[in-house]
Amino acid sequence: MGAVQDFTTYITTASHWWGERGILHRSLEHMRLSAASVFAAGAIAIPPALALGHGKRGGFLAQSIVNIGRAVPSFAILALLFPLALSYGFGLGFWPTFGALVFLAIPPMFTNTYVGVRGVDPSIVEASRGMGMGPAQVLFRVETPIARPLILTGVRIAAVQVVATATLGAFVGFNGLGSYIDEGFRQQDDGKLLTGAIGVAVLAFLTELVFSLVVRRATPWLAPSRVPDVVPPEQVEVLTP
Amino acid sequence: MLAANGPNSFIWWDWVDRHRGQIKDASLEHLRLTLIAVVIGFVISGVLAVVALRFRWTYGPITWITGVLYTIPSLALFVLLVPLTGFTTLTGEIGLVSYTLLILIRNIVAGVDGVPASVKEAADGMGYTPARRFVAVDLRLATPAIIAGLRIATVTTIGLVTVTGLIGLGGYGSLIDDGLKRTFSTPIVVGAGLSVAMAIVLDLGLVLLERALTPWARRRVAT
Amino acid sequence: MLAIGMVAVVAIAACSSNDNKATTTGGSSASAGAGGGAKPTVTIGAQDFGESAILAEIYKQGLAAKGFTTSTQKLGGFRDLEVKAFDGKTINFAPEYAASMLEFLNGKKGEATSDVTATVAKLKTQLDAKGLAAFNASDAVDTNALVMTQAKASSLGISSLSDLATKGKDLKLGGPADCETNAFCIPGLKRVYNLDLSGKFQALEASAIAAALDAGSIDVALLFSTDGRIAAKNYTLLTDDKKMLAADNVVPVATKDLAANSELASAVNAISAKITTDELIKLNKRFDVDKEDAAVIAKDFLTQNYLI
Repeated sequence: MGAVQDFTTYITTASHWWGERGILHRSLEHMRLSAASVFAAGAIAIPPALALGHGKRGGFLAQSIVNIGRAVPSFAILALLFPLALSYGFGLGFWPTFGALVFLAIPPMFTNTYVGVRGVDPSIVEASRGMGMGPAQVLFRVETPIARPLILTGVRIAAVQVVATATLGAFVGFNGLGSYIDEGFRQQDDGKLLTGAIGVAVLAFLTELVFSLVVRRATPWLAPSRVPDVVPPEQVEVLTP
Repeated sequence: MLAANGPNSFIWWDWVDRHRGQIKDASLEHLRLTLIAVVIGFVISGVLAVVALRFRWTYGPITWITGVLYTIPSLALFVLLVPLTGFTTLTGEIGLVSYTLLILIRNIVAGVDGVPASVKEAADGMGYTPARRFVAVDLRLATPAIIAGLRIATVTTIGLVTVTGLIGLGGYGSLIDDGLKRTFSTPIVVGAGLSVAMAIVLDLGLVLLERALTPWARRRVAT
Repeated sequence: MLAIGMVAVVAIAACSSNDNKATTTGGSSASAGAGGGAKPTVTIGAQDFGESAILAEIYKQGLAAKGFTTSTQKLGGFRDLEVKAFDGKTINFAPEYAASMLEFLNGKKGEATSDVTATVAKLKTQLDAKGLAAFNASDAVDTNALVMTQAKASSLGISSLSDLATKGKDLKLGGPADCETNAFCIPGLKRVYNLDLSGKFQALEASAIAAALDAGSIDVALLFSTDGRIAAKNYTLLTDDKKMLAADNVVPVATKDLAANSELASAVNAISAKITTDELIKLNKRFDVDKEDAAVIAKDFLTQNYLI
């Protein structure tokens, strides 16, 4: 097929890999933005979720707010932040996309952390209290480790979504892999288009893979494939686009 | 918004007023695209879930394939389909349906698996044929899990339909795209706001549906 | 339950709205293209910038008033997608620009000049090879315009494209995505001025380019000469001292069949005759700054010029 040939020609041309608009730079930028967004979102989402999950109060309200946030299309946030970023001196590309991605990453991390901590077997919590642990110790030495698989799964879900959605940043001037898709489409250049599409897909898969390994390594006490992805029915499954 | 309400305001109410027809069309189209995706996704997922439950070894491969589909970034998927299926509803729907499969299949299977073995045995003992038992017992008791999956799939799809605005489909995405291309915030705010509203309404609808389908859950609480 | 759901979906899908991004205005009753005497259906392609959308609407409504069945089609991009649409027969009419279209079709040879008659003649030869034809060219001209903010231009001592070539090699250019393939953007600068700005080029939506320039996110912007913001914001328009730019008069392009229709041709030419450069600037302002809809702007233009 002509398009596939264009693609292989495009990626085998050395000059396409170097420079500010080359494959390497754009891939690195894409990952840099994704990482920054996930970290920031984690810093915003996880502490309150830990506290609320431990305290078992106010969670319903927080969870509802988070659910509504999940329904806001990232594309729209991007489009709204763009002119604001320009007029307030944040420039194009990175910051508006960062804002939209942080917004996107918060719900899965919040929900999984909250549900994970809240779902710790009450008898274990009681036992630790009985052993003389204060609330902070209970949270950090008992509940968090037990909730770790769910928390990390939340981070994993967020990370993959962020990497995938960072593609849209191209429409607000972010120089990542999405730019290949935008330019390739407008210029009717199949080589660029496929480079972008396949590039982000590969990055998304790699992210998924790496995090799956991280989750597995971080929870050695669980049998290899028994890391729960699915949260029991009465709790909300966290998989969003 | 303190200054005179105009094209540079967050929402230019005059524009909203003048474009009510367009907004209504976008709403109907958005709803149509969402419902088609979720219903078709549900049917396909149902079939695949039954297969996975009946032939356990298929569960791994099925979730792997649907997982792969899920991981492909939506814009990339749509853009790759356009040369094959054009700027049509079909292109959008292929993508949208694909994204619902993973969550729906997993929740259906998890839901049926979650039915206590003792209940299934009791039903068998009462003379239910396997097929009947599956429909009358397994699925009914798996309803909360299935609806949980449907809720997520629906809210997810509503968000994804906005991305189809970039390949020219109607729906709220066309409003957002219009606003993005013209650096004009009003259609973006309208599109995003109505998207969220639609998600809340449909989510609520599914919660009510669950209540209606599982009367025994409430009865238990009442006594 | 499931059965009801399925029926509902089929019902919704059955009353499906149109798939492509076309909007149709009515014309004569008989089915379009049915036979010898019936008026042809005109499907007009609109590129991804305001002026193209406005021109598409102008021709669409103007022709509809003369009894043709017309519709517009958003191309989602620029000339690359437009030519593809012509090839794929999804459009049969498009408002174009003489020099740019010529250079697109001749592989950026550099044949276009500032002589509109000569340029259009060469264009017609190129179009003929593709089964297309051009109507009369309008007096209205819209060329690409490379601008910088006054502050930056004076601080770097750049006032012409030659200056840019010597002093501005490392500057960041922002423009529509087709700058890389447009004969009067990056390839043109390379050919005429020996200036390669592709290394740091940033593709942007047409409406955001000026804002990005103001914010300093880009150093040089590719705008259109009919963009009122150039004057309003006192941008420095870099002079084209080596004459890279050429006669980019508005000229509608269509399939040969359509162009052969004399009634259509005279209607189109009548409309084109009323379009001037100053008009374009005014119309663009309504779109870019006042955020009015292309359809409304077009209607006002046609009404004021007694075309509908």
